[in-house]
Amino acid sequence: MTVHDDRSARAPARRFGARLPGVVWLTLVWVLLWGTFTPLSVVGGVVVGVLVTALFRMPQAPTRLPVRPLRLLGLVAYLGYDLVVSGLEVSWQILRHGRHARGAMVVVPLLTRSDQVVTAMANALSLAPGMMALQTDQDHDVWYVYALGPRDRAGVERARLRTMDMQRRVLAAFGSPAELAEAERRIAAAGAKR
Amino acid sequence: MNAVLDIVSAALLLLGALSCLLGALGMVRLPDLLARLQAATKPQTLGLLLILAGTALRVELESAATLLLVALFQVITAPVISQLAGRSAYRIGAVRRDLLVVDELADKVPRNPPS
Repeated sequence: MTVHDDRSARAPARRFGARLPGVVWLTLVWVLLWGTFTPLSVVGGVVVGVLVTALFRMPQAPTRLPVRPLRLLGLVAYLGYDLVVSGLEVSWQILRHGRHARGAMVVVPLLTRSDQVVTAMANALSLAPGMMALQTDQDHDVWYVYALGPRDRAGVERARLRTMDMQRRVLAAFGSPAELAEAERRIAAAGAKR
Repeated sequence: MNAVLDIVSAALLLLGALSCLLGALGMVRLPDLLARLQAATKPQTLGLLLILAGTALRVELESAATLLLVALFQVITAPVISQLAGRSAYRIGAVRRDLLVVDELADKVPRNPPS
């Protein structure tokens, strides 16, 4: 029961502190939605933010991730670039192959154990060219990714390597150093095998 | 200066419209649900972002901020929706297996093809 005691012993102020980022974010969204920066819209945003975070509690104490701002910025820029490439590549598939387009369901090693990082990776992956994370299997540390475009084994391997590289980029932005090092080691190994 | 802005804005809008058109074409031409989901998310998202960027150049700053929100939520939600739709489709057997070069997920997921 020590876990329970520890939780209830938390000061209310600290619990509110955990909600603060959510409140700030919701206030910002609220103000942007109204499109006017006035005292009324800001106060309204804060009220809504407090209400929403109070009514819809996030799971208790998510583990803190080491966020590296510069790498995060790099990731965002890469995702923007990826989205353009992605749009062009899928368009190419549509025009070139159309009804005869092929795809592949690829199994890719999952390079993290953190739920938050998995979520970020899945979203990042789905922006990558013609790919989509379909299913994660955290018992076996793999996930299944659908890729549009591969027509042979080499294409499949390229898709697999690409998803691993995307995972590495996400880990570089906010993953534990150990997982990042492991990711780099496995990508080097996978690259050497080809 | 205004003319330059007009041209850039028009170019962005046209590129965005073209990208959306390609996405729509993909919905018609591509063979199965998973491939169509790609068309619905990739060129479509890119097209919307380009159109939003083109529009943002021509409206006052306050409205442009709201457009930023549209872009953000599109980028956050589209992958989630496509992932859910794709996974459900795979599970009920609505995915054309013959179109997959490899299917390494086979036998890992219980599939209940509709009878």
